[in-house]
Amino acid sequence: MSLRTKVWLILALTIVTALITWPRESDLLKLVGIKNVNLEVKQGLDLQGGAHLVFKADAAELAKLNQTDREKAMTGLIDVIQKRANPAGTSEITVQRQGSDRVIVELPGVQNVAEAVNKIGKTAQLTFLEVDPSTQTPTETGITGKDVEKAEVGFSQSNQPVVTLQMKGPATKQFGDLTTRLNKTNGQLLTLLDDQPIFGPATVSSPITDGRAQLEGNFGSIAEARTVADQITAGALPIPVTLVEERTVGPTLGRESIAKSLVAGIIGLAVVAAFMVAYYRLAGVFAVGALIIYTLLTLTIYKISGLTPYSIVLTLAGTAGFILSIGMAVDANILVFERMKEELRSGKAFATALESAFDRAWTSIRDSNVATIITCVILYLFSGTALIKGFAVTLGLGVLISMFTAIVVTRTLLRLSLRYSWGQKPSFYGVRSAEVERP
Amino acid sequence: MNIIGRRKLWYAISLAIIVPGAISLMLHGLKLGIDFRGGQLMEVQGGVEQVEVLRIADQQQLKDVTVISAGNNTLIRYRSSSDDVKRQQLDRQTLSSQLQGSGHPEVRYENVGPSVSADITKKAVISIALASLAIVLYIAFAFRNVPPPMTSWNFGVTAIITMLHDAFLLLGVFSLLGVFFEVEIDALFVTAILTVIGFSVHDTIVVFDRIRENLRRQRGEFEQIVNNSILETLARSLNTSLTVLLTLLALYLFGGQSIQQFVLALLIGIAAGTYSSIFNAAPLLVSWHNYKQKRIAKRP
Repeated sequence: MSLRTKVWLILALTIVTALITWPRESDLLKLVGIKNVNLEVKQGLDLQGGAHLVFKADAAELAKLNQTDREKAMTGLIDVIQKRANPAGTSEITVQRQGSDRVIVELPGVQNVAEAVNKIGKTAQLTFLEVDPSTQTPTETGITGKDVEKAEVGFSQSNQPVVTLQMKGPATKQFGDLTTRLNKTNGQLLTLLDDQPIFGPATVSSPITDGRAQLEGNFGSIAEARTVADQITAGALPIPVTLVEERTVGPTLGRESIAKSLVAGIIGLAVVAAFMVAYYRLAGVFAVGALIIYTLLTLTIYKISGLTPYSIVLTLAGTAGFILSIGMAVDANILVFERMKEELRSGKAFATALESAFDRAWTSIRDSNVATIITCVILYLFSGTALIKGFAVTLGLGVLISMFTAIVVTRTLLRLSLRYSWGQKPSFYGVRSAEVERP
Repeated sequence: MNIIGRRKLWYAISLAIIVPGAISLMLHGLKLGIDFRGGQLMEVQGGVEQVEVLRIADQQQLKDVTVISAGNNTLIRYRSSSDDVKRQQLDRQTLSSQLQGSGHPEVRYENVGPSVSADITKKAVISIALASLAIVLYIAFAFRNVPPPMTSWNFGVTAIITMLHDAFLLLGVFSLLGVFFEVEIDALFVTAILTVIGFSVHDTIVVFDRIRENLRRQRGEFEQIVNNSILETLARSLNTSLTVLLTLLALYLFGGQSIQQFVLALLIGIAAGTYSSIFNAAPLLVSWHNYKQKRIAKRP
């Protein structure tokens, strides 16, 4: 590739990444005909505010099951929790499994976590019992929440919130038989949710043969009826769970963290840039150019990753990793520039000094960065927490991208400047003329 | 400039920092945060008086209560009287609403159960062990061909000693910070240690790389070659550390409160890493070399 092509490619890269990084990039995308693409750096819960909950399945109950049933129970558990946490399926709630017996629930921006925890953690076992009118002893009918197709909120004739049930096909007849019998014998029906009565005991005024039952419980509010309906629809938890971890960050703290990280990032970038220019002069200016391209390229990758299944989620520790990588990104440049100064001092011509500086510094750059990449990979694979993963991803990605920008971009810019006479002054590279050995 | 000649002074400076930390580590260990021992943490806005928290804590029978200020906010760490989630939620609501009443709304709450903290601890130990092992293997690979009088064994062991120096210095300083300033370590601290280990090796490799190169090209005393190598890489070592420390300083001063301790750990560790790569790693090579020479000379 000729130097000219490389310069054009770098220029194109800068423009494209700058446009994507631009906060209103969706407007720009519309201009070129790409619509409905939302490029956003995904924020972790500690930045956007929200709750991170971890539930653990009951160990004693799990131990009773064999391997296949255990897997089934865990899959069922995630399914039920998903339905309970996100009944409408609209919000950005994620439910995922962690290890053999845990479920992580991430609720962005949830205000009342205690309520969410109660809702998710309820066993929600629905049972129908018949009560003998003379002895008042309840007996199980064999009809449970499993026989319910779905539950919804409705209103009674007196305009009170009620929960309506639709029985599944086979259970419709069973339920019809039961209510017919109770209606004849003057027996009572009792419905329990987690051993708490939500309906009855009350007599059945007419047989229910269409499988549509109405629970006129004493629901204090529509919200309360809605919770019960959602729990019945979602079904019972296959295994009881307990909350073992909760981390909640308020939206104010998250916003504050973003603002502060932004300030810290800009100051860090500015200070590093000032230092590089002051110390390495023209070469420093090119390093700053490479650093800016580095920043744009990194932010572009963060944004575009959101479109793929491997989206990068920026956490507070992740921003720290990114800002730290700005400081580390210039290391490769410093290694090269120091070499170049040595070569220039020994009296070599600029072009030769430049090429041998890059060649000689390369082993150091490669070897030294590998150590950081190794730690990042291990942190990512074995840390287990999103917080640390975020840091490992941003730092590791930063090291890799910076190797590219510091070597390819800076080298091209330096080669370009050396074509002109103005680029060929030792002082432009931090070397005093008097230091240069004359052959 | 003769860095190698004053190596005993450099070792003494390292020891002067490491020994108090090591003693504190032995006597008090590290102050473990809720990530490792379980418990509750609440961050509220504004400065809260300790007595105010203790009054509520007494009513709720909270245990191990510590109140420390963190910038504009206050951190309250405690342990609920029961492992029951309902009780813990009640404790949180009581504490939160009473503090909100006096103008300190809750901004963050964490509750880590014992099974989770045991898991985090296990993973921390595994990742530190694996990272150390991987780096040791990597060092052995990176220095597989070293010209005499050194061997890759000398380079590798010295790099590992330097890495341990940085890690122990960081642990010791945080043990002391725990004793005097109630600083607790969390899961991110493990990340800081691993990052510091990575950076330490990164820095040492650059110096060793130059020693290896100069051993091939230059003739002369081993001490002299090592000293030249340190001086040749000095500007790079200092400048790189300076840029990294400057960005970290920006993060420490202006970045988020919640990661300030993490950034402090990185600052201390990376400063230690720079010092040890210049003043400990290469001088140790010379000390080792001289020791071997003396043994050879003593042989009949």
